[in-house]
Amino acid sequence: MTLVRAVRLIGVGVRTHVSYMSRSPLEITFAVLVPLVYATLAVYLFRAADDPDRLLTAAVGAGLMGIWSSVLFGSGGAVQNQRWLGTLETLVASPTPLSLVLLPITLATAVIGTYAMGATVLWGAVLFDVPLDFAHPLLFLAAVPVCVLSLGMMGLLLAATFVLLRNANALANPLDAPVWLLSGMLVPVTVLPDWTRPVSWALPTTWGSRAVHAATSGGAGAGEVLVPMGVALGLGALYALLAVLVLGRVERRARAAATLALA
Amino acid sequence: MPTRTPHTDSGSAPGPYRRTVSALRLVVVGGALSYRALFNWTTPPMFIGTLLVGPLLQLLFFVFLGRQLHVADDRFYLLGNAVVSASTACVYGGTMAVANERRYGTLGAVLLSPRNRAPLWFGRAIPYVLNGLVISVFTLSAACLLLGLRIPVEALPGLGAVLLAAAAGCSAFGLALGALGLRFRDVFLVSNVASSVLLLLTGANVPRETLPAWMRALGDVLPLTHAADAARQLSAGGGLDGRGIVAELLTGAGYALLAVVLLALFERGSRRRATLDVM
Repeated sequence: MTLVRAVRLIGVGVRTHVSYMSRSPLEITFAVLVPLVYATLAVYLFRAADDPDRLLTAAVGAGLMGIWSSVLFGSGGAVQNQRWLGTLETLVASPTPLSLVLLPITLATAVIGTYAMGATVLWGAVLFDVPLDFAHPLLFLAAVPVCVLSLGMMGLLLAATFVLLRNANALANPLDAPVWLLSGMLVPVTVLPDWTRPVSWALPTTWGSRAVHAATSGGAGAGEVLVPMGVALGLGALYALLAVLVLGRVERRARAAATLALA
Repeated sequence: MPTRTPHTDSGSAPGPYRRTVSALRLVVVGGALSYRALFNWTTPPMFIGTLLVGPLLQLLFFVFLGRQLHVADDRFYLLGNAVVSASTACVYGGTMAVANERRYGTLGAVLLSPRNRAPLWFGRAIPYVLNGLVISVFTLSAACLLLGLRIPVEALPGLGAVLLAAAAGCSAFGLALGALGLRFRDVFLVSNVASSVLLLLTGANVPRETLPAWMRALGDVLPLTHAADAARQLSAGGGLDGRGIVAELLTGAGYALLAVVLLALFERGSRRRATLDVM
């Protein structure tokens, strides 16, 4: 498959799945309403802490949490949904590599997650008078898509591992809060025990969050946004590469054991 | 040759004893059967991942958030989240107990039954009360071990009673949400939002005095709010707050009543419109 065809496939796939998910009330609830509750909770907590200067950080942090939740459940559901719909075998049997079929789904879940970011920031501005004084507005607009892209690629690795598990949700459900925590989406990673640092550094979500937060809050130079953006993209690409390798192995194993629909 | 005694129907209605036994059987056996059939998370990976590990990790998230913001101490978040951890099993379980009958196409058979609706539906809530209690106890114990928080031994019986009241109230709340499943298609959408709202309004994670008055008023009529307060008071050595438990039980009774009314209302409406199994 040529690069142009692969890019076209990803583009068309993302558009299709974003349209499909945007029509699902459950997806919209996850993407908008639940993050709004977390944003409200964060704003009241930051207010209670007498830290009104960081209310925008709280709203943006809640938005990042929403993006991750969307990717996590979307990626878990990416394979499970195909399994339930009975289309997983057809997708695996098609000449298009499975990774290129799944990547648009996981990217689309991250794009749907940006609804959360938009909703929480607007919610904060309209209801809580949070001033939208981003330190680097243009870099913020660049950092969010980069974060979305890296999370989408991370989602591909999740989806790849979930192909093997019938109860993918069992793994997805408890992964929500630890990644919020380890990535510093709302709580700085400096609060966590030292042994968690290597885990944090290995997550694209950490670097994506760092870039978005640096672009949001004052005092950070452009370099503090651009470098984490680069690391997030690099790590995301590494996760995607790992996902391709895992998917190849998983696919061969599932074909050999004839357990794709049952795995 | 053995003789078979023919069954004779005296024509009289069963006595109060038989009626009670029959109702109890419906509550216990019917509840257990519906739990096995309708609760989607009974497999060990789902139960452990979603109901035990998930709430514990959520508790740790809020503990570290609290440490960063210095809004309240670890005890506040630990007790609040241990109480609220029951909500996953109770809210979603209560919803599944009703809504999944419709989803799996068995609702018609259930509603054709001549049995009294109150034991039929309340029996379904009991497994979730027990689930909620187990999850709260596990979350509290694991978090105390991980974070090194000590709870006075003499507070444990009271704490058990508070957690039981919380799980019972929350299951009734879940059943009331599940009743909406007789009328609306996307009832899990409501459950998701309700479950998140409990995190905010019950004061599990935000001190209630920092919330606006209307949010505090809403929290007062939600399950878990009074239980979280009572649990915190107990663990701090303040003794059992009888009013807190009574308030929690009354809240739960209110939702139980609401569930019965909604179930009866929606059942009648569904029969009238012939929309019982329409998804």
